Amino acid sequence: MRYLRGFLVVLFFWYALALLVSGPIIPYPHVVFAHLLASMIEAKNHLHLLFSFYRILMGTVVALLFAIPSGLAIGRVKRLDRVLSPTLYLLYPLPKIAFLPVFMVLFGIGDLSKIILIAVIIFFPATLTIRDGVKQIPFQYLELAQAYHLTSRQVLTDIIWPSILPRIFSSLRITVGISLSVLFVSETYASTYGLGYTIMNNWVMANYVGMYGGIVLLSLLGLLLYIVIDKVEQLVIPAQAK
Amino acid sequence: MLTICDAQVCYGAHTAFSHFSLHAKRGEMISIVGKSGCGKTSLLYAIAGLLSLSQGSITIEGGSTNCSLMFQQDRLLPWKKVVENVMLGLGPESREYAQLLLGLVGLGHRRNSYPSQLSGGERQRVALARSLVRKPGLLLLDEPFASLDEQTRERLQEEIKAYVKTHGITLLVVTHSIKEAVFMGERIIVMTKQGLSYETANPYHEYEDIRSNVGAFSLEKELRFQLGGSR
Repeated sequence: MRYLRGFLVVLFFWYALALLVSGPIIPYPHVVFAHLLASMIEAKNHLHLLFSFYRILMGTVVALLFAIPSGLAIGRVKRLDRVLSPTLYLLYPLPKIAFLPVFMVLFGIGDLSKIILIAVIIFFPATLTIRDGVKQIPFQYLELAQAYHLTSRQVLTDIIWPSILPRIFSSLRITVGISLSVLFVSETYASTYGLGYTIMNNWVMANYVGMYGGIVLLSLLGLLLYIVIDKVEQLVIPAQAK
Repeated sequence: MLTICDAQVCYGAHTAFSHFSLHAKRGEMISIVGKSGCGKTSLLYAIAGLLSLSQGSITIEGGSTNCSLMFQQDRLLPWKKVVENVMLGLGPESREYAQLLLGLVGLGHRRNSYPSQLSGGERQRVALARSLVRKPGLLLLDEPFASLDEQTRERLQEEIKAYVKTHGITLLVVTHSIKEAVFMGERIIVMTKQGLSYETANPYHEYEDIRSNVGAFSLEKELRFQLGGSR
Protein backbone atom coordinates (compact mmCIF):
# COMPACT_ATOMS: atom_id res chain seq x y z
CA MET A 1 0.00 0.00 0.00
CA ARG A 2 2.69 2.50 1.02
CA TYR A 3 4.68 1.50 -2.05
CA LEU A 4 1.65 2.24 -4.22
CA ARG A 5 1.37 5.72 -2.73
CA GLY A 6 5.04 6.39 -3.48
CA PHE A 7 4.55 5.08 -6.99
CA LEU A 8 1.60 7.44 -7.56
CA VAL A 9 3.65 10.44 -6.43
CA VAL A 10 6.45 9.54 -8.86
CA LEU A 11 3.89 8.99 -11.61
CA PHE A 12 2.33 12.39 -10.99
CA PHE A 13 5.64 14.24 -11.37
CA TRP A 14 6.59 12.16 -14.37
CA TYR A 15 3.33 13.06 -16.19
CA ALA A 16 3.76 16.72 -15.25
CA LEU A 17 7.30 16.77 -16.64
CA ALA A 18 6.31 14.90 -19.81
CA LEU A 19 3.49 17.40 -20.40
CA LEU A 20 5.84 20.29 -19.80
CA VAL A 21 8.60 19.06 -22.10
CA SER A 22 6.34 17.25 -24.59
CA GLY A 23 9.17 15.79 -26.64
CA PRO A 24 10.54 12.26 -27.20
CA ILE A 25 13.22 12.86 -24.52
CA ILE A 26 10.59 12.44 -21.76
CA PRO A 27 7.94 9.95 -22.94
CA TYR A 28 4.65 9.50 -21.07
CA PRO A 29 4.72 6.85 -18.36
CA HIS A 30 1.94 4.75 -19.92
CA VAL A 31 3.91 4.54 -23.18
CA VAL A 32 6.97 3.32 -21.27
CA PHE A 33 4.96 0.77 -19.27
CA ALA A 34 3.19 -0.50 -22.40
CA HIS A 35 6.56 -0.89 -24.09
CA LEU A 36 7.95 -2.62 -21.03
CA LEU A 37 5.08 -5.10 -20.90
CA ALA A 38 5.31 -5.78 -24.64
CA SER A 39 9.08 -6.22 -24.51
CA MET A 40 8.83 -8.54 -21.48
CA ILE A 41 7.83 -11.31 -23.82
CA GLU A 42 10.42 -11.09 -26.60
CA ALA A 43 13.20 -8.94 -25.16
CA LYS A 44 15.56 -10.33 -22.56
CA ASN A 45 14.36 -8.08 -19.76
CA HIS A 46 14.26 -10.86 -17.21
CA LEU A 47 17.83 -11.75 -18.17
CA HIS A 48 18.97 -8.14 -17.79
CA LEU A 49 17.29 -7.99 -14.38
CA LEU A 50 18.75 -11.31 -13.35
CA PHE A 51 22.30 -10.37 -14.33
CA SER A 52 22.06 -7.03 -12.52
CA PHE A 53 20.62 -8.70 -9.44
CA TYR A 54 23.35 -11.32 -9.45
CA ARG A 55 26.13 -8.70 -9.66
CA ILE A 56 24.68 -6.61 -6.83
CA LEU A 57 24.12 -9.64 -4.66
CA MET A 58 27.64 -10.98 -5.18
CA GLY A 59 29.17 -7.52 -4.72
CA THR A 60 27.31 -7.09 -1.43
CA VAL A 61 28.22 -10.56 -0.19
CA VAL A 62 31.90 -10.07 -1.01
CA ALA A 63 31.86 -6.60 0.62
CA LEU A 64 30.27 -7.96 3.82
CA LEU A 65 32.69 -10.90 3.93
CA PHE A 66 35.49 -8.36 4.31
CA ALA A 67 33.62 -5.56 6.09
CA ILE A 68 32.28 -7.63 9.01
CA PRO A 69 35.63 -8.97 10.27
CA SER A 70 37.36 -5.63 9.57
CA GLY A 71 34.68 -3.61 11.36
CA LEU A 72 34.73 -6.06 14.29
CA ALA A 73 38.51 -5.97 14.60
CA ILE A 74 38.79 -2.18 14.29
CA GLY A 75 35.93 -1.66 16.75
CA ARG A 76 37.40 -4.06 19.32
CA VAL A 77 41.15 -3.48 19.11
CA LYS A 78 42.18 0.08 19.97
CA ARG A 79 45.56 -0.17 18.30
CA LEU A 80 44.03 -1.30 15.00
CA ASP A 81 41.50 1.52 15.30
CA ARG A 82 44.28 4.08 15.62
CA VAL A 83 46.07 2.81 12.53
CA LEU A 84 43.22 1.73 10.27
CA SER A 85 40.49 4.31 10.89
CA PRO A 86 42.52 7.17 9.40
CA THR A 87 43.41 4.88 6.49
CA LEU A 88 39.72 4.19 5.90
CA TYR A 89 38.89 7.90 6.07
CA LEU A 90 41.59 8.54 3.49
CA LEU A 91 40.43 5.85 1.07
CA TYR A 92 36.67 6.19 1.54
CA PRO A 93 36.23 9.47 -0.42
CA LEU A 94 38.35 8.32 -3.38
CA PRO A 95 36.22 7.95 -6.51
CA LYS A 96 36.59 4.20 -6.90
CA ILE A 97 34.97 4.33 -10.35
CA ALA A 98 38.01 6.26 -11.52
CA PHE A 99 40.00 3.09 -10.92
CA LEU A 100 37.76 1.14 -13.27
CA PRO A 101 40.60 0.60 -15.81
CA VAL A 102 42.71 -0.90 -13.03
CA PHE A 103 39.91 -3.27 -12.05
CA MET A 104 39.44 -4.21 -15.70
CA VAL A 105 43.13 -4.99 -16.16
CA LEU A 106 43.35 -6.94 -12.88
CA PHE A 107 40.04 -8.83 -12.98
CA GLY A 108 39.14 -8.91 -16.68
CA ILE A 109 36.21 -7.23 -18.36
CA GLY A 110 33.66 -9.86 -17.32
CA ASP A 111 31.48 -10.18 -14.23
CA LEU A 112 34.37 -10.34 -11.79
CA SER A 113 35.56 -6.77 -12.29
CA LYS A 114 31.98 -5.48 -11.95
CA ILE A 115 31.38 -7.44 -8.76
CA ILE A 116 34.66 -6.34 -7.23
CA LEU A 117 34.03 -2.71 -8.10
CA ILE A 118 30.67 -2.84 -6.29
CA ALA A 119 32.25 -4.71 -3.38
CA VAL A 120 35.06 -2.19 -2.96
CA ILE A 121 32.63 0.72 -2.95
CA ILE A 122 30.27 -0.87 -0.41
CA PHE A 123 33.13 -2.07 1.80
CA PHE A 124 33.97 1.37 3.24
CA PRO A 125 30.58 2.55 4.51
CA ALA A 126 29.78 -0.99 5.73
CA THR A 127 33.06 -1.29 7.67
CA LEU A 128 32.60 2.11 9.32
CA THR A 129 29.00 1.36 10.34
CA ILE A 130 30.00 -1.98 11.83
CA ARG A 131 33.00 -0.42 13.62
CA ASP A 132 30.74 2.19 15.20
CA GLY A 133 28.24 -0.50 16.15
CA VAL A 134 30.93 -2.45 17.99
CA LYS A 135 32.15 0.68 19.77
CA GLN A 136 28.66 1.51 20.96
CA ILE A 137 27.96 -1.81 22.66
CA PRO A 138 26.97 -0.86 26.25
CA PHE A 139 29.85 -1.60 28.62
CA GLN A 140 27.30 -3.10 31.02
CA TYR A 141 26.91 -6.06 28.67
CA LEU A 142 30.67 -6.58 28.48
CA GLU A 143 30.89 -6.38 32.29
CA LEU A 144 28.12 -8.94 32.49
CA ALA A 145 30.08 -11.21 30.16
CA GLN A 146 33.13 -10.85 32.38
CA ALA A 147 31.21 -11.47 35.59
CA TYR A 148 29.66 -14.63 34.16
CA HIS A 149 32.95 -15.86 32.71
CA LEU A 150 31.90 -15.96 29.06
CA THR A 151 34.58 -17.20 26.70
CA SER A 152 35.70 -14.77 23.99
CA ARG A 153 33.82 -16.89 21.50
CA GLN A 154 30.63 -16.56 23.56
CA VAL A 155 31.18 -12.80 23.87
CA LEU A 156 31.32 -12.69 20.09
CA THR A 157 28.25 -14.84 19.42
CA ASP A 158 26.06 -13.81 22.37
CA ILE A 159 26.86 -10.12 22.76
CA ILE A 160 28.83 -8.53 19.93
CA TRP A 161 27.19 -10.20 16.94
CA PRO A 162 23.56 -9.56 18.05
CA SER A 163 24.50 -5.96 18.89
CA ILE A 164 25.90 -5.22 15.44
CA LEU A 165 23.33 -7.18 13.43
CA PRO A 166 20.88 -4.24 13.19
CA ARG A 167 23.85 -2.11 12.08
CA ILE A 168 24.61 -4.50 9.27
CA PHE A 169 21.05 -4.18 8.02
CA SER A 170 21.11 -0.39 8.15
CA SER A 171 24.45 -0.36 6.34
CA LEU A 172 22.87 -2.59 3.67
CA ARG A 173 19.99 -0.14 3.28
CA ILE A 174 22.43 2.73 2.88
CA THR A 175 24.57 0.91 0.34
CA VAL A 176 21.75 -0.39 -1.89
CA GLY A 177 21.42 3.05 -3.51
CA ILE A 178 25.16 3.36 -3.97
CA SER A 179 25.53 -0.11 -5.40
CA LEU A 180 22.74 0.45 -7.92
CA SER A 181 24.41 3.56 -9.33
CA VAL A 182 27.78 1.79 -9.44
CA LEU A 183 26.14 -1.19 -11.09
CA PHE A 184 24.83 1.10 -13.82
CA VAL A 185 28.29 2.45 -14.58
CA SER A 186 29.92 -0.97 -14.45
CA GLU A 187 27.37 -2.40 -16.88
CA THR A 188 28.01 0.23 -19.49
CA TYR A 189 31.25 -1.40 -20.58
CA ALA A 190 31.82 -4.79 -22.15
CA SER A 191 28.33 -6.07 -21.30
CA THR A 192 25.60 -7.72 -23.30
CA TYR A 193 23.33 -8.25 -20.31
CA GLY A 194 22.31 -6.05 -17.40
CA LEU A 195 20.07 -3.06 -16.87
CA GLY A 196 22.96 -0.60 -17.27
CA TYR A 197 23.60 -2.13 -20.67
CA THR A 198 19.91 -1.88 -21.73
CA ILE A 199 19.69 1.74 -20.68
CA MET A 200 22.89 2.77 -22.45
CA ASN A 201 22.11 0.70 -25.55
CA ASN A 202 18.69 2.30 -25.92
CA TRP A 203 20.18 5.70 -25.30
CA VAL A 204 22.74 5.27 -28.05
CA MET A 205 20.00 4.13 -30.42
CA ALA A 206 17.85 7.11 -29.38
CA ASN A 207 15.13 4.70 -28.23
CA TYR A 208 14.02 6.80 -25.28
CA VAL A 209 10.98 4.69 -24.48
CA GLY A 210 13.27 1.66 -24.14
CA MET A 211 15.75 3.69 -22.11
CA TYR A 212 13.07 4.68 -19.62
CA GLY A 213 11.91 1.08 -19.52
CA GLY A 214 15.40 0.14 -18.31
CA ILE A 215 15.37 2.93 -15.74
CA VAL A 216 12.00 1.73 -14.41
CA LEU A 217 13.37 -1.79 -14.10
CA LEU A 218 16.45 -0.48 -12.28
CA SER A 219 14.27 1.34 -9.77
CA LEU A 220 12.09 -1.76 -9.36
CA LEU A 221 15.23 -3.75 -8.64
CA GLY A 222 16.14 -1.23 -5.93
CA LEU A 223 12.67 -1.48 -4.43
CA LEU A 224 12.87 -5.26 -4.50
CA LEU A 225 16.21 -5.17 -2.70
CA TYR A 226 14.83 -2.87 0.01
CA ILE A 227 11.84 -5.17 0.55
CA VAL A 228 14.12 -8.21 0.75
CA ILE A 229 16.39 -6.48 3.30
CA ASP A 230 13.39 -5.44 5.44
CA LYS A 231 11.86 -8.92 5.35
CA VAL A 232 15.11 -10.68 6.20
CA GLU A 233 15.67 -8.25 9.07
CA GLN A 234 12.19 -8.90 10.47
CA LEU A 235 12.90 -12.60 10.23
CA VAL A 236 16.32 -12.46 11.91
CA ILE A 237 15.52 -9.82 14.54
CA PRO A 238 11.97 -10.08 15.92
CA ALA A 239 10.45 -6.73 16.93
CA GLN A 240 10.29 -7.77 20.61
CA ALA A 241 14.01 -8.58 20.60
CA LYS A 242 15.09 -4.97 20.12
CA MET B 1 34.21 -19.41 51.99
CA LEU B 2 35.37 -15.87 51.43
CA THR B 3 38.37 -14.10 52.92
CA ILE B 4 39.19 -10.49 52.21
CA CYS B 5 42.45 -9.13 53.65
CA ASP B 6 43.14 -5.41 53.80
CA ALA B 7 41.70 -4.82 50.35
CA GLN B 8 41.97 -1.54 48.49
CA VAL B 9 40.56 -0.50 45.11
CA CYS B 10 41.66 2.63 43.29
CA TYR B 11 40.45 4.29 40.11
CA GLY B 12 43.55 6.18 39.06
CA ALA B 13 44.30 8.64 41.84
CA HIS B 14 40.87 8.17 43.41
CA THR B 15 40.52 5.53 46.14
CA ALA B 16 37.15 3.72 46.09
CA PHE B 17 37.77 2.07 49.46
CA SER B 18 40.70 0.83 51.49
CA HIS B 19 41.61 -1.31 54.52
CA PHE B 20 38.64 -3.62 54.13
CA SER B 21 38.85 -7.07 55.66
CA LEU B 22 36.16 -9.68 56.02
CA HIS B 23 35.79 -13.40 56.57
CA ALA B 24 32.57 -15.14 55.60
CA LYS B 25 31.78 -18.73 56.59
CA ARG B 26 29.93 -21.11 54.28
CA GLY B 27 26.19 -20.42 54.28
CA GLU B 28 26.55 -17.13 56.09
CA MET B 29 24.32 -14.22 55.10
CA ILE B 30 25.99 -10.86 55.37
CA SER B 31 24.63 -7.40 54.61
CA ILE B 32 26.92 -4.51 53.89
CA VAL B 33 25.45 -1.04 54.37
CA GLY B 34 27.01 2.32 53.86
CA LYS B 35 26.42 5.72 52.34
CA SER B 36 26.54 6.06 48.57
CA GLY B 37 30.10 6.44 47.35
CA CYS B 38 31.65 4.44 50.19
CA GLY B 39 32.83 1.76 47.77
CA LYS B 40 30.18 -0.93 48.30
CA THR B 41 29.70 -1.69 44.62
CA SER B 42 33.45 -1.55 43.99
CA LEU B 43 33.90 -4.12 46.75
CA LEU B 44 31.46 -6.52 45.10
CA TYR B 45 33.03 -5.94 41.68
CA ALA B 46 36.44 -6.69 43.15
CA ILE B 47 35.17 -9.94 44.66
CA ALA B 48 33.57 -10.90 41.32
CA GLY B 49 36.87 -10.18 39.56
CA LEU B 50 35.62 -7.17 37.58
CA LEU B 51 38.02 -4.82 39.36
CA SER B 52 41.54 -5.57 40.42
CA LEU B 53 42.83 -4.75 43.87
CA SER B 54 45.58 -2.22 44.27
CA GLN B 55 46.39 -3.73 47.64
CA GLY B 56 45.41 -6.75 49.76
CA SER B 57 43.86 -10.01 48.68
CA ILE B 58 40.54 -11.76 48.11
CA THR B 59 40.25 -15.54 48.32
CA ILE B 60 37.11 -17.42 47.34
CA GLU B 61 36.74 -21.11 48.08
CA GLY B 62 36.36 -22.82 44.70
CA GLY B 63 37.80 -19.86 42.82
CA SER B 64 36.13 -16.91 41.15
CA THR B 65 33.85 -19.12 39.04
CA ASN B 66 32.20 -20.23 42.30
CA CYS B 67 30.77 -16.75 42.78
CA SER B 68 27.89 -15.09 40.98
CA LEU B 69 27.10 -11.38 40.92
CA MET B 70 23.61 -9.96 40.51
CA PHE B 71 23.91 -6.41 39.22
CA GLN B 72 21.99 -3.36 40.31
CA GLN B 73 20.28 -3.23 36.91
CA ASP B 74 18.95 -6.46 35.44
CA ARG B 75 21.24 -6.29 32.37
CA LEU B 76 19.16 -8.80 30.44
CA LEU B 77 20.18 -9.12 26.81
CA PRO B 78 17.22 -7.81 24.76
CA TRP B 79 17.89 -10.18 21.85
CA LYS B 80 17.69 -13.34 23.94
CA LYS B 81 14.55 -15.01 25.20
CA VAL B 82 14.10 -15.20 28.96
CA VAL B 83 15.33 -18.77 29.27
CA GLU B 84 18.34 -18.05 27.03
CA ASN B 85 19.20 -15.07 29.21
CA VAL B 86 19.21 -17.36 32.24
CA MET B 87 21.46 -19.82 30.38
CA LEU B 88 23.93 -17.11 29.37
CA GLY B 89 27.39 -18.59 28.92
CA LEU B 90 26.21 -22.13 29.66
CA GLY B 91 25.53 -25.04 27.35
CA PRO B 92 22.19 -26.60 26.37
CA GLU B 93 22.49 -29.04 29.28
CA SER B 94 21.65 -26.18 31.63
CA ARG B 95 18.23 -25.59 30.05
CA GLU B 96 16.35 -27.90 32.37
CA TYR B 97 17.75 -26.30 35.51
CA ALA B 98 17.20 -22.82 34.05
CA GLN B 99 13.53 -23.65 33.51
CA LEU B 100 13.27 -25.04 37.02
CA LEU B 101 14.70 -21.80 38.45
CA LEU B 102 12.36 -19.71 36.31
CA GLY B 103 9.49 -21.71 37.75
CA LEU B 104 10.85 -21.05 41.22
CA VAL B 105 10.83 -17.28 40.68
CA GLY B 106 7.31 -17.56 39.24
CA LEU B 107 8.21 -17.01 35.59
CA GLY B 108 8.04 -20.54 34.19
CA HIS B 109 5.31 -19.49 31.77
CA ARG B 110 7.36 -16.54 30.46
CA ARG B 111 10.44 -18.50 29.47
CA ASN B 112 9.96 -17.86 25.74
CA SER B 113 9.18 -14.15 26.12
CA TYR B 114 11.70 -11.42 25.40
CA PRO B 115 12.89 -9.10 28.21
CA SER B 116 11.05 -6.16 26.58
CA GLN B 117 7.79 -7.95 27.31
CA LEU B 118 8.44 -8.20 31.07
CA SER B 119 7.86 -5.74 33.90
CA GLY B 120 10.75 -4.38 35.98
CA GLY B 121 10.09 -6.88 38.78
CA GLU B 122 9.92 -9.80 36.36
CA ARG B 123 13.16 -8.75 34.70
CA GLN B 124 14.89 -8.62 38.07
CA ARG B 125 13.62 -12.14 38.82
CA VAL B 126 15.09 -13.38 35.55
CA ALA B 127 18.39 -11.77 36.53
CA LEU B 128 18.15 -13.59 39.86
CA ALA B 129 17.56 -16.92 38.11
CA ARG B 130 20.55 -16.16 35.88
CA SER B 131 22.80 -15.63 38.89
CA LEU B 132 21.60 -18.87 40.52
CA VAL B 133 21.75 -21.18 37.50
CA ARG B 134 25.51 -21.63 37.86
CA LYS B 135 24.93 -23.05 41.35
CA PRO B 136 27.30 -20.55 42.98
CA GLY B 137 28.74 -21.09 46.43
CA LEU B 138 28.88 -17.34 46.91
CA LEU B 139 26.10 -15.01 45.77
CA LEU B 140 26.78 -11.29 45.53
CA LEU B 141 23.81 -8.92 45.33
CA ASP B 142 24.40 -5.29 44.43
CA GLU B 143 21.32 -3.35 45.60
CA PRO B 144 19.24 -5.73 43.52
CA PHE B 145 15.87 -4.33 44.52
CA ALA B 146 16.55 -0.60 44.37
CA SER B 147 14.37 -0.10 41.30
CA LEU B 148 11.41 -2.16 42.51
CA ASP B 149 8.23 -1.25 44.35
CA GLU B 150 7.98 -2.21 47.99
CA GLN B 151 5.70 -5.26 47.66
CA THR B 152 7.76 -6.82 44.88
CA ARG B 153 10.94 -6.02 46.76
CA GLU B 154 9.77 -7.75 49.95
CA ARG B 155 8.58 -10.85 48.12
CA LEU B 156 11.86 -11.18 46.25
CA GLN B 157 13.85 -10.71 49.45
CA GLU B 158 11.87 -13.54 51.06
CA GLU B 159 12.38 -15.80 48.06
CA ILE B 160 16.11 -15.22 47.85
CA LYS B 161 16.55 -15.71 51.56
CA ALA B 162 14.69 -19.02 51.49
CA TYR B 163 16.60 -20.27 48.45
CA VAL B 164 19.99 -19.29 49.81
CA LYS B 165 19.25 -20.94 53.17
CA THR B 166 18.12 -24.27 51.72
CA HIS B 167 21.09 -24.45 49.36
CA GLY B 168 23.73 -23.39 51.86
CA ILE B 169 24.88 -20.49 49.68
CA THR B 170 26.99 -17.74 51.19
CA LEU B 171 25.24 -14.42 50.61
CA LEU B 172 26.71 -10.95 50.44
CA VAL B 173 24.16 -8.17 49.99
CA VAL B 174 25.19 -4.61 49.43
CA THR B 175 22.51 -2.01 50.08
CA HIS B 176 21.93 1.50 51.34
CA SER B 177 18.63 0.49 52.93
CA ILE B 178 19.15 -0.40 56.57
CA LYS B 179 15.78 -2.12 56.66
CA GLU B 180 16.78 -4.38 53.77
CA ALA B 181 20.18 -5.05 55.34
CA VAL B 182 18.61 -6.12 58.63
CA PHE B 183 16.07 -8.31 56.89
CA MET B 184 18.55 -10.06 54.60
CA GLY B 185 21.62 -10.39 56.79
CA GLU B 186 22.46 -12.41 59.84
CA ARG B 187 25.48 -10.20 60.16
CA ILE B 188 25.53 -6.51 59.30
CA ILE B 189 28.62 -4.61 58.34
CA VAL B 190 28.73 -0.86 58.08
CA MET B 191 31.26 0.16 55.46
CA THR B 192 33.06 3.45 54.96
CA LYS B 193 35.74 4.45 52.49
CA GLN B 194 38.35 3.61 55.13
CA GLY B 195 37.03 0.09 55.68
CA LEU B 196 34.69 -1.56 58.12
CA SER B 197 33.36 0.85 60.76
CA TYR B 198 30.83 -1.23 62.65
CA GLU B 199 29.73 -4.83 62.78
CA THR B 200 26.96 -6.71 64.52
CA ALA B 201 25.63 -10.25 64.48
CA ASN B 202 22.50 -9.17 66.29
CA PRO B 203 20.90 -6.75 63.81
CA TYR B 204 17.39 -6.69 65.23
CA HIS B 205 18.58 -5.63 68.65
CA GLU B 206 21.14 -3.17 67.49
CA TYR B 207 19.06 -1.51 64.80
CA GLU B 208 19.54 1.93 66.31
CA ASP B 209 23.31 1.46 66.52
CA ILE B 210 23.48 0.46 62.85
CA ARG B 211 21.50 3.54 61.91
CA SER B 212 23.70 5.92 63.81
CA ASN B 213 26.81 4.30 62.36
CA VAL B 214 25.58 4.69 58.82
CA GLY B 215 24.85 8.29 59.69
CA ALA B 216 21.08 8.07 59.35
CA PHE B 217 18.57 9.87 61.53
CA SER B 218 17.84 8.16 64.81
CA LEU B 219 14.81 5.92 64.42
CA GLU B 220 12.77 8.08 66.75
CA LYS B 221 13.58 11.18 64.77
CA GLU B 222 12.74 9.51 61.47
CA LEU B 223 9.40 8.20 62.72
CA ARG B 224 8.51 11.64 63.96
CA PHE B 225 9.59 13.04 60.62
CA GLN B 226 7.48 10.54 58.70
CA LEU B 227 4.41 11.12 60.87
CA GLY B 228 4.85 14.85 60.56
CA GLY B 229 5.17 14.55 56.81
CA SER B 230 2.03 12.48 56.41
CA ARG B 231 -0.16 14.90 58.29
